[in-house]
Amino acid sequence: MIMITMNKIENNHSTNNDSYRHLFVIIESINNELIPASLEMLGEARRQMDHFNLKYKSNEKVIAIHLGHGIKDLSKDLISYGADAVIYADDPHLKYPINKIYTKIISQIVTDPHSLKEISPEYVSIFKKPRYMFFLADSIGRHLSSTVLAELDSGLASDINKLVISDLDIKHQHKTKGETIHYQKVLEMYRPDFSGFLWTTILCLDNKNPEIAKEFHPQACSIIPGAFQPCVQDTKRTGIISQFSPQFDEQDLKIKVVKQELVKNPVQFENYKIIVSFGRGIKEDPEANIKLVEKLAKILDAEIGISLPISKKIFHLNEKYDSIYITPNRVVGTSGRKVTPVIYIAVGISGAIQHLDGMKDSDFIIAINPDENSPIKDVCDVFIKGRMEDVIPVIIDELSKRSGQLKEKEIQVNTYGKL
Amino acid sequence: MTLNIAVLVKLEPDFSEGSVSYNPDGTLNRAETKSKLGAHSAIASLAAFYTKVKYGGYISVSSMGPPMAEIALQEAQSICDADELHLYSDRLFASADTLATAEVLQQGIRKMNNGKEMDIVFSGHRASDGETGQTGPQTAWKLGFTFLGNVIDFSVDLNKRFILAKRLVALPGFYDIVEEIQAPLPVFIAIDPLYKPIFDTISLRLTSSRYLKEAKERAANYKTYLKVLDHKKLELDPRFVGLPGSPTIVHKVEKIPKARTTRTAELIEGYDREGIKNTITKILQLVQK
Repeated sequence: MIMITMNKIENNHSTNNDSYRHLFVIIESINNELIPASLEMLGEARRQMDHFNLKYKSNEKVIAIHLGHGIKDLSKDLISYGADAVIYADDPHLKYPINKIYTKIISQIVTDPHSLKEISPEYVSIFKKPRYMFFLADSIGRHLSSTVLAELDSGLASDINKLVISDLDIKHQHKTKGETIHYQKVLEMYRPDFSGFLWTTILCLDNKNPEIAKEFHPQACSIIPGAFQPCVQDTKRTGIISQFSPQFDEQDLKIKVVKQELVKNPVQFENYKIIVSFGRGIKEDPEANIKLVEKLAKILDAEIGISLPISKKIFHLNEKYDSIYITPNRVVGTSGRKVTPVIYIAVGISGAIQHLDGMKDSDFIIAINPDENSPIKDVCDVFIKGRMEDVIPVIIDELSKRSGQLKEKEIQVNTYGKL
Repeated sequence: MTLNIAVLVKLEPDFSEGSVSYNPDGTLNRAETKSKLGAHSAIASLAAFYTKVKYGGYISVSSMGPPMAEIALQEAQSICDADELHLYSDRLFASADTLATAEVLQQGIRKMNNGKEMDIVFSGHRASDGETGQTGPQTAWKLGFTFLGNVIDFSVDLNKRFILAKRLVALPGFYDIVEEIQAPLPVFIAIDPLYKPIFDTISLRLTSSRYLKEAKERAANYKTYLKVLDHKKLELDPRFVGLPGSPTIVHKVEKIPKARTTRTAELIEGYDREGIKNTITKILQLVQK
């Protein structure tokens, strides 16, 4: 059997730009409580579209999409935090964010012109898809954005922390067949790479090359929690709240969440006044150096964090250290957790921006690093220039002379358990 | 019955010390950095191995990548005792974004095990270099399979053809959620880094060691299990793969500007015991406030 791919090439080259309108923001909530990062994303959407409407003398909306059960009342909050309109679907089958079901309902909403009949009635007859879409780059939104955009057959950039809407002249071997073509209203999506030192700008562009002509809308991204600020709540803001009646596939309703438990992350940075984090600087003798950090943390009653590169298991360690420390939930930074302890001690961390953004609001920051030119020096209060192997034993020695001023605490091994 | 199991793996830069090389500005030196089976791909392979040991099954492992990506397949085979290896390799596939990659992978999965439908497809949580975590769910969607991400444990009911999976849903700055979800097969599982298979009965241990021995033997002769497929063999339209099939492009890469200097650090030399003493006094004062 020959299975040729099912996609269609759209040869209609003349685009009616009004077919793609508005910025749709996919809101997340758990147990009828909005996830704070949803409001950050909404705030950025508001700022972007205010700018957009001014620049293009347009009137495109920020539309929040919210699925759940018993969530209707949260719509007003979404308006007060910057949405022009809210489209919600409220149904017992939407209580949990089951990927397959949510993907289908969101896709229904954003491709159904009638969703807009109260929001922008003048465009109902020509509306095809959103212009832009925002999702959260968390465990729900990351996958949801992927499947929704696979369904909508358009482009997606993940883990974005800066956005710019602009007009660009693009010359690309495939997109424009090597010619320079002016693209309007392009969403420039900035994503810090894994090293934390580079920003890659991702664009989602129509193929204007006649041989592969195809329109790609919406331009979509997932946004790093903590990257943007929410708007100040304004309860006087008004907006349109519109209900959507979802259509379910019987087969999909066989997917069931049988149990859900809210758990606190086993690493509770919030409960500690001091956090000691280590990075690649442990490399000369990883195990011995982690022991040093562990000892320091014990004396200081500190929790232990790590930098992102460390979480990639770059050192061979015994299983105990590996399973206790080399875990994603200890990563401090925009790809991990944002922390604000009284004292943050960075050991052997050079200071990629994604790490700095996760700890720079700590009250007092101490860095231990042999390289005086490390970026971490620009955000710390005390920079102890030296190898951790030399410096930490001195600190431990001095601290133990003052024992009694600090209590020791056992470090616990935590797991989420087996089925 | 047994299960048809697929594993998607990726050849990635080896970030371990000794293999990785960084440029002076802190970025990855790709030319000097060695490659190997990605860490998350290895966990996906392990999950497939567990499934084969516990329930029985036929494992197909595949990867999209350059010819040298066959070493990732070999390594995966040595972990999961794969019965079949697929490499989707074609210059036309190069520089694909996640959607265009998913297009190749879904078509490849349809060709595994002589075109039999897969029951479970495993992938890693995300690649260590790309880090989008999008390719798995997009492949699942194109296949029409139920996608289950962040799976930390799972069990299969072979008679009812259902899977029960435990997922860790992390919502930064909010809660973590541990969820148990059941779904009819077929499913696509992106396995969480916290997943650990447990062979807790004698029979599982015996089967495991038997398959592991077989896995090492097979991996030593991996080429006999390997099929390399290009776009023609996969029956893929070149317009939908690689760069032409990618909605997104990388427009520019720039250095992230240094964070604004927010504080002026007091510099203490590592050998300056007095300086360190003063710092400790400061720490103790702040903590006791």
